[in-house]
Amino acid sequence: MSLAATYRLGTRLFWSDRVNLFASVITPVGLTIGIPTLLRQVTPADNAVHVFQGLLALVLSITAFMSVTVTLTARRDRLVLKRLRASELTDWQILTGQIAGAATQSIVIVLLCTVAVRLTAGIPLPAHPVAFIVATLAGSAAMALLGAAFTALVPRAELASVYTMPVFMICTAATGGMGPIPLPGRLQAALDLLPTSAAVHAIRTGELIVPLLGIAAWTALGLVALRLWFRWEPRRS
Amino acid sequence: MTAIDVRGLRKSHQGFEAVKGISFEVAEGEIFALLGRNGAGKTTTVEVLAGFQRADAGTVRVLGLDPWADRAAVRGRTGVMLQEAGFFPDLTVAQTIDTWRDFTSAPRPRDEALELAGLTAKAGTRVRQLSGGEKRRLDLALALLGRPDLLFLDEPTAGMDPEARAATWAVVRDLARQGTTILLTTHYLDEAQRLASRLAIMDAGRVVAGGDMAETLAAHAGKVSFRMPAHIPPGDLPLPVTVEHGRAVCRAEDPDLAAQTLLTWAAARGLRLEGLEVRPATLEDLFMESATLTTAATESTEQPR
Repeated sequence: MSLAATYRLGTRLFWSDRVNLFASVITPVGLTIGIPTLLRQVTPADNAVHVFQGLLALVLSITAFMSVTVTLTARRDRLVLKRLRASELTDWQILTGQIAGAATQSIVIVLLCTVAVRLTAGIPLPAHPVAFIVATLAGSAAMALLGAAFTALVPRAELASVYTMPVFMICTAATGGMGPIPLPGRLQAALDLLPTSAAVHAIRTGELIVPLLGIAAWTALGLVALRLWFRWEPRRS
Repeated sequence: MTAIDVRGLRKSHQGFEAVKGISFEVAEGEIFALLGRNGAGKTTTVEVLAGFQRADAGTVRVLGLDPWADRAAVRGRTGVMLQEAGFFPDLTVAQTIDTWRDFTSAPRPRDEALELAGLTAKAGTRVRQLSGGEKRRLDLALALLGRPDLLFLDEPTAGMDPEARAATWAVVRDLARQGTTILLTTHYLDEAQRLASRLAIMDAGRVVAGGDMAETLAAHAGKVSFRMPAHIPPGDLPLPVTVEHGRAVCRAEDPDLAAQTLLTWAAARGLRLEGLEVRPATLEDLFMESATLTTAATESTEQPR
C-alpha cells in the first residue's frame, strides 16, 4: 500500500544518493569499525568493547537522526514534501515511510558494525542478544522520529548538517564513544537520559525496562513535536 | 451540481490579508479561470481550495467536502498542479510517474500518462535535465494520474513553448469534455479566454469582476483604431475618439458597426482610414480596466488623512 510505497521510495533514494551515502553510511561505519580496531592494538579489550558500544550512539544519531533531518529539510525546501502532499498520501504515510526507512538503514548498519568489529578487533558479539536487538530497533526508530521532529528547528536545508552536529557529538560523548571524557556527575546523569544513552545502556547491561521507558518518553515527545511544529514548506519570509 | 463553492473566504499570512472575503462557485464540468496580477491572492485561494492551507474565515466546499478537514477524501478525487514544487531530481520521468502511481489508488497506466503530457520521448530522461516547460508537463502528468473529477491548475503553461502550450490546451479541453471540472489560474489572458467558460478576476485579495466569459466580454467595449488622418480635427469624426500615439481609438459596444460608420464617413470625403483595426473586447482590456480601477480605488482609500 501507500506506506510501503513511501518506504520503498525513501530507501531507494537513500542508497542511490552518493553524497548521502558518504555522510550517513561510510562515515559512521568507518568510525564505528575503525576506532575500536585501532584501540584494540593499544589498549585492553574491555576498553575497546566499551568504546565500540558507545559508538553505536554515533550510528543512531547519524544514520537514523541526522539523515532524516537532512533529507526532510532538503525535501521541504525544494517543495518535494508539498508535491507529495498533493498526492493521495496522508501526512503520516509520508513521514512514517521516511522514518521507517532511516530506522531500517540504522539497524542494518548497527548489525553490520557489530559483525565487522568481531572480525577486525575480536570484540565479542553482544552478551545480551535480546536487549541488543530490542534496543537497536527501538533506539533507531526513536532517533529517526526525533530527526523528523528536529527539522522544525532547522531554518534552511543548507544548515541541517550544522544543526545536527552538536546532537551526535553530545550523544556519542555521553555514551563514552569518544573515549573516557570525564564529565561532572550531574551532567553525566542528564546525558544518561538521552535515547541513545538508554539504548547503549541496554546493550551493555541487558537491562530493558528502564531504557525502554526512556526511549518511549522521547518517542512521545517527538510525536508531539511533529504534530505541533513540523513544517511542510519552507518559510516564506 | 456545484464542484467548488467559496463563500466569504478570508486568509492572512503573518498579518497580511492575502484574500479578503471572496465568493464564487464553479459548476461541475466547467473550466473556470481565476485571474489576477502577482500578489492578487490567486495562489492563496488555490492552496486553500486544495487543502494546503486552512481558511481563516468563510466556508469552502470542494466536491461537497471541506478540503482542510476532509483532505484525504478530497485528494482521492482531485488532481493538483502546483505553481512551484520540486521533484526528485535523480529519478527519470518514467520512474517519477511509476513512483506516483504507487501513491495513487487507481492510476492511469504509465504510458497513457506520458502520452497525455507529451513526454513519451523523455521517459528515460532524468528530471534534473528537463526544461522548465517539460517539468510543467510532468507536473500535469502527475496531476492527471488518478483520473480526477476536479483539477487545480496553477499557471499550467508557464515556461512552455507555444507548441507545448497548444498541446496542453488540447488536453485540458479534452478533460473538460469528459466531465472534469477545472480551476485554472494563469497570467496568459489569451489562455484563459480560449479555455475558460467562466472567470473571476482578483485584485488585492478581492474578486473585482467575473461571470460568464462570453457575457463578460460582450458587456465590454470593443475597439476600432486607425491612423489619425492629417488636418482633420478629432471633433469632425462621426464618433467620439481618443487619440493615442497618433492613432484614433474609438471604443464601441459593436465595433463592426462603428467601423462601418467611420468608413462610410471617410468614403464620403474621399479619405482613407489607414491602418484600420477592428477588435472585439479581449480579456486583456477587461483585465487592465478592472485592475486599474481597483488600484485607483485602493490608493485613494489608503491616502494619509
